[in-house]
Amino acid sequence: MSAHKSDAVIIGGGIIGTACGYYLSRQGLKVAIVEQGYLCSGSTGRCIGGIRQQFTSSGSIKLMMESVRHFQNMEQELGTDVHWHNGGYLFLAHSPEKKQAFLSNIAVQQAAGLKDVRWVDADECREIAPGMDATGLLGGSYCPSDGQAYPFAVVQGYAGKIKQAGGSIHTFSKVSHILQQGGKVTGVKTESGREFSAGVVINAAGPWSKDVGQMAGIEIPVEAERHEALITEGVEYLNIPMLVDYRADGGYFQQYKHNGQFIGCYSPVPNVPGHSADSTFEFLHEMPKRMLKLVPGLKVLKVIRQWAGSYENTPDGNPILDRTGLDGFYTVAGMCGHGFMLGPAMGRVAADLILSGGRDMPYPEFALKRDFSQAEAMK
Amino acid sequence: MANNTDKIVCRCEDITESEVMAAIEQGATTADEVKRLTRAGMGHCQGRTCRRLVNQMLARALGQKPETQRPITQRAPLQPLTLKALAEYKKT
Repeated sequence: MSAHKSDAVIIGGGIIGTACGYYLSRQGLKVAIVEQGYLCSGSTGRCIGGIRQQFTSSGSIKLMMESVRHFQNMEQELGTDVHWHNGGYLFLAHSPEKKQAFLSNIAVQQAAGLKDVRWVDADECREIAPGMDATGLLGGSYCPSDGQAYPFAVVQGYAGKIKQAGGSIHTFSKVSHILQQGGKVTGVKTESGREFSAGVVINAAGPWSKDVGQMAGIEIPVEAERHEALITEGVEYLNIPMLVDYRADGGYFQQYKHNGQFIGCYSPVPNVPGHSADSTFEFLHEMPKRMLKLVPGLKVLKVIRQWAGSYENTPDGNPILDRTGLDGFYTVAGMCGHGFMLGPAMGRVAADLILSGGRDMPYPEFALKRDFSQAEAMK
Repeated sequence: MANNTDKIVCRCEDITESEVMAAIEQGATTADEVKRLTRAGMGHCQGRTCRRLVNQMLARALGQKPETQRPITQRAPLQPLTLKALAEYKKT
């Protein structure tokens, strides 16, 4: 079989791969997405769909402000309803230390241009999140322009636009080799032996990005980690923002506006490294406890399903967006649980970086070779 | 997309035969893809009825034997349970 030819091969059909593909297509490149499973079969289709701008690195704040602008226009841009809703995010502070940390984060976020984030006291928290038990609550960091969207619709929307522009999507095609010649990337080869040739190859393989990097002898410091989630039946929209409780027995959950389902998760301690997507009874017992501690009135809601998926973590909690030592081979990965929300802006920025031949690196804090000691505090 | 001669395939999410066929025409080759494109099987019963119907439709459209198709994953709880019941569960 002769090699498939395109301008850019993207490894990974999640939010990052399809967003990169969409923005490259818009600039006239012929894109081929090569995905080991089906679209959204990795991390993107397992996330809970939250979108927030409250970060502590100015790069992430600015990217997320751009992402929110993309989500706001997405229905028109992609011609599909992605269920964007600016329901807001409320981070809860139950200790003076947390309050102090949020206050200084808010100052950083406002300085980066996020004007509507603010500190709200416990009384206002109760108004923002009706039905919430505010016992021990000192207040919270609230950003009403944060929101939610439906990951499957976003990825399908991008994929549709890529195909419209003459690009192609190759599912159930697992890349096994990165092809190169004279220090330049020339394409990829899949396990079944099919070759895809292109002068640009993008590693958007999320939790598998380390393995893909290794195919070219390039070390990508991204580790997969299992996170679990659950979803309830749908009920009338209660107008509660995404609640984020960082306490040891906390979690985060929100209600989808479009169908009324509550969806949530927490970060396991200790963490669970690896690609497992197995779900546990421990989570199915623990997550409802944590949800009811915060909003007791939800007790009558029925859980209809639990599942799991992978975070793709870097040592500092910030993404990797950079060229690599192999000319034409780029990495856009390591989203640390924020891939869906970062995706639209990350795709746009990555496309510009690639079109500049890897020279215009807008976010040095996301470089592949960086000092990983400055951790993102709002992980 | 639904019309009055269309048949309901997924009762929980109100997904019709023509919606499933549209997903297959769009390129879905597995029940997992149909589920993510249409929400068939994402509702309360996790596909108790529609998983067989979707697999039959896929097999027919792709010229496969019905058993070729792997069913969608079912996860706990197999029946919807309240947050209260799950939170208060104690091992005996």
